[in-house]
Amino acid sequence: MSPNKRLVFAFLTIAISSSSFAQLEELTPEEQAYKDSIQALNEDNAAIASSQEAYNRGIELFGQEKYSAAVKEFGKSIQFDPNFTAAYYNKGVAENKAGKYADGVKTLSKLIELKSNYSKAFFQRGLSYQGLNKYAEAEEDYEQSIKLNATNPKAYYNFGTLRFLQKDYEGAAKYFSKTIELDKNNVNAFNDRGSSYRMLGKYPQAIADYETAITKNPKLAFVLNNLGTTKSKTKDYTGALAAFNRAISIDANFHLAYNNRGVVQMNQGRLDDAEKDFKKALTVKSDYAPAQSNLSAIYFKKKEYKKALDHANKAIKMDKNNAAAYVNRANAKEMTRDMNGACEDWLKAKELGSEAGKKYYAGNCGI
Amino acid sequence: MKYIVTSIALVIGLMASAQNVEFKSANFKDDKDGFKAAVAAIKAGDEFFELGNEAVFLVKSPGINFELARREYEKAQKLNDKNGELNYKIGVCYANSPYSEKCISFLKTAFKLDPECDPFLDYYYGYALQLDGDFSAAKKSYEKFEAGYKKADDFSKFVTKRKKECKAAINLTADPVRAWVDNVTELNTAQNEYGPSVSTDGAELILSSNRPNGHTPNEIGGYDDDIYVSSIENGKWSKPKAIKGAVNSESDDVSNNLSYDGTKMLMHRVEDGQCDIYESKLVGANWTAPTKLPSAISSTRANERFASYSHDGWSIYFNRDNASRSTGYEVMYSSMQSKLRQNYMAAQMISTINSKFNEGPIYVHLDGETMYIASEGTGSIGGYDIFVSRNINGTWSKPENLGYPINTQYDDFFFSGTANGKYAYIASNRAGGSGGYDIYKVTFWGPEKEPVTATEDYLLASIVNPIADNSIEESVTVKKKSFTVFKGITIDAISRKPVEAEIEITDNTSGKVIETFTTNSATGKFIITLASGKNYGIAVKAEGYLFHSENFDIPKGSSDNLVNKVIELKNIKIGSKIALRNIFFDTGKSLLRSESNAELDRLVKLMNDVPNLKVEISGHTDNTGSAKSNQTLSQSRAQAVVTYLTKKGISASRMTAKGYGPNSPIATNATADGRQQNRRTEFEITGN
Repeated sequence: MSPNKRLVFAFLTIAISSSSFAQLEELTPEEQAYKDSIQALNEDNAAIASSQEAYNRGIELFGQEKYSAAVKEFGKSIQFDPNFTAAYYNKGVAENKAGKYADGVKTLSKLIELKSNYSKAFFQRGLSYQGLNKYAEAEEDYEQSIKLNATNPKAYYNFGTLRFLQKDYEGAAKYFSKTIELDKNNVNAFNDRGSSYRMLGKYPQAIADYETAITKNPKLAFVLNNLGTTKSKTKDYTGALAAFNRAISIDANFHLAYNNRGVVQMNQGRLDDAEKDFKKALTVKSDYAPAQSNLSAIYFKKKEYKKALDHANKAIKMDKNNAAAYVNRANAKEMTRDMNGACEDWLKAKELGSEAGKKYYAGNCGI
Repeated sequence: MKYIVTSIALVIGLMASAQNVEFKSANFKDDKDGFKAAVAAIKAGDEFFELGNEAVFLVKSPGINFELARREYEKAQKLNDKNGELNYKIGVCYANSPYSEKCISFLKTAFKLDPECDPFLDYYYGYALQLDGDFSAAKKSYEKFEAGYKKADDFSKFVTKRKKECKAAINLTADPVRAWVDNVTELNTAQNEYGPSVSTDGAELILSSNRPNGHTPNEIGGYDDDIYVSSIENGKWSKPKAIKGAVNSESDDVSNNLSYDGTKMLMHRVEDGQCDIYESKLVGANWTAPTKLPSAISSTRANERFASYSHDGWSIYFNRDNASRSTGYEVMYSSMQSKLRQNYMAAQMISTINSKFNEGPIYVHLDGETMYIASEGTGSIGGYDIFVSRNINGTWSKPENLGYPINTQYDDFFFSGTANGKYAYIASNRAGGSGGYDIYKVTFWGPEKEPVTATEDYLLASIVNPIADNSIEESVTVKKKSFTVFKGITIDAISRKPVEAEIEITDNTSGKVIETFTTNSATGKFIITLASGKNYGIAVKAEGYLFHSENFDIPKGSSDNLVNKVIELKNIKIGSKIALRNIFFDTGKSLLRSESNAELDRLVKLMNDVPNLKVEISGHTDNTGSAKSNQTLSQSRAQAVVTYLTKKGISASRMTAKGYGPNSPIATNATADGRQQNRRTEFEITGN
């Protein structure tokens, strides 16, 4: 029975008790109640329409990458219709895109309350938690997302990323493998599994994965860079240089590759070439602290301690937590007869987790 | 040519300035008294000079003999400083003193004035060159001396030693060790400072000095050695103060070694020409009067000095001279049988360490496996050098020179290190000091430090290409549903009584009948809801009444959300006229629009339901436009309806079509609403 028919039926029931004398009269209480109910229905319908309109505007803004504005519209949509789950989802995605991860967690948690089997909501909330560096919570969400939808490679991928960030490289490799199983052309997963192997010291496997990623997408300069630094670790400096050169040929402004190539050149004793590379990295990215620190290392090697000191100072100014720069500055300070300053810097480097800082501080400072 | 002239002039100049002036009366006719005094002074000096030389020859301490000799020589030097021999002797006196740097100029002058002034000149000239850092020239001078020295004594060992020193110096200075050696100026004076012993925490340092101390100076105005203490204040050593307690005496008190816990100190003291090792202990803030160590260490038959505790406190290492041998002081050690009884056993010589020359101060590192020994012996680059020996499987290894710049061609001795091995304090009379022996701080750089290089990767691809799921849920079609309550009543148009009627509501947009119902038989009332914002057709029929039809709008967003309608029904009487409000034509045309079909079909139904009904279908216009065209339009529109009905099976004989143009208005043509009402199609009962 349609709403209209129901209403007619209701009226007829009411009409039996009505006056038989027909005239245009005021509404009876029953009619008024009926009218009120229709009014309420209209208000509900209007709210839903407003919610939908805001929702659609939100989608349009999201498409224009205006994420904050999209969040506002999705918020309005939810305000008009608190049961509109799609609006919650989209709001959560937009909040993640806008970097408002805490808001994302709130929105998506509400959505999960409304719809507990919403796999994508768990995935998105996992992203929110990841953005907040709450890896344990993010992992739980990715796991739940995988449980609800075992065919989403992205969930495996992000789970793997989290395991990696928590230094569980075995676990990371496992999840990246699962990603690859579901998406054989996922070059990111190949790269990241390679990185996991690398962190496990399984350099040949790491190199194989990086090379697969490169085969699938030869334009990925960052993978070539990873390949280069991994080859450096195996003392295959020739291979490393080839990888860095390829990375630079793909991206002439890839400062990391210049910097890393410089380190290889330095390890091979080509101090002048290394110096050029570090300087090039700084030309590309003038605030790149590792290259400044490496320049300090070069000048230390060349026994130009004043210059070494200057560049380490610059590196530290750029990055106050650059442990290598503190070690290099300390080394330069020692050679310029500022032993107290050197000890302060080695200590700082040690506090930042530098093994060299720890070693030099222990061997040169204190009693 | 120009160069030759210059060279000749230079040689002449040198000859002129290198004129030796003999101590002959003929040379001092104008100052005979002065000459006599000078000759007497030289003679007096020569006695001490010989004593000093004898001691040196025996690898013994010359004491103050050279100092006494120099005092005399300098008296003669005032009269005549152009005598090669005298310059030589003064040079030798300095060469065998803590102020050896000063010998260089005298010996060089002696060499210039009279290269033949003394058989030992080449030896000492070589030494001056050695001290001056010209090791190759020094070596040649030694070789020259060696070639001309024919005495069958043991002096050649000194020459051999010096030559080796030069050779070693050439090698070691070419490859300096990684250390800085800095004069600790705040500790030093023009007098001697030596015997540094730093506390384990590096905060306190004990040293010895013969700086003026209020005691009675000796015959040359020198003071006895006392022990002093300095501490680190604001990163610098404080001015040394005499050690607290009853340690210092009128004799030479020389600090040797501080125990690792800083509560005991070994020192040596010279009393009546006898040098022995003593120990003092820290009680509260004061050091006790030194106690001579047992005879196993401080013997009466020999001199002992420069002692050091072993790392575990069970042994004491020290120097002892040996009257029966001319090998100078040697390194000995004596161990206790019991720490409680302090019963030291007979001292043993450490043969692997000792050389043919003096061994000097000893320092046993806290690790118990490293011993630093000063030695004038093999491997030195001049004077005392500091060597290191390591205990390998219970045997002390052959000492290794600590290298330049820790060691120099001067005396470098004493070694006291901080616990971490980064710093050490030594004593040296190297050039450039405050005078005599000075305390120096050695800062070891340690192994060459490797700078830290930083590589950087994007190990995780998500750093470069973040993996997110940017797909969002799709847009929706907005459904703006709004309902209006449609309330009404069907009544007899004449009697106004309720009439039960059948009502059909049509959505004129879609042409679909959306509701069909019967009004209440008792009240004629009905109430339904209709979607707002649409145009509806309502058709009402009741038995015996003329079919009623109209169209109406339900506006969007109606404020009261209610449409209230009274529908008056007319009996089907001949002459009754009904306006067919749901028949639509395009403006100025007579073609029926499709949305008219519902109304027309109701008319068809009425005609079929009432088979005797005869009707006139009339067309009416407003008064806009020409009368003729309005007449034509109204006629053709009426005919269009008749044609439609005919096509639906209604006999044409029951219908007439008539156009009235604007001639039968039912409302004023003065208003738009009136004109709207006048534009109509009517249906008049003409037969029944």
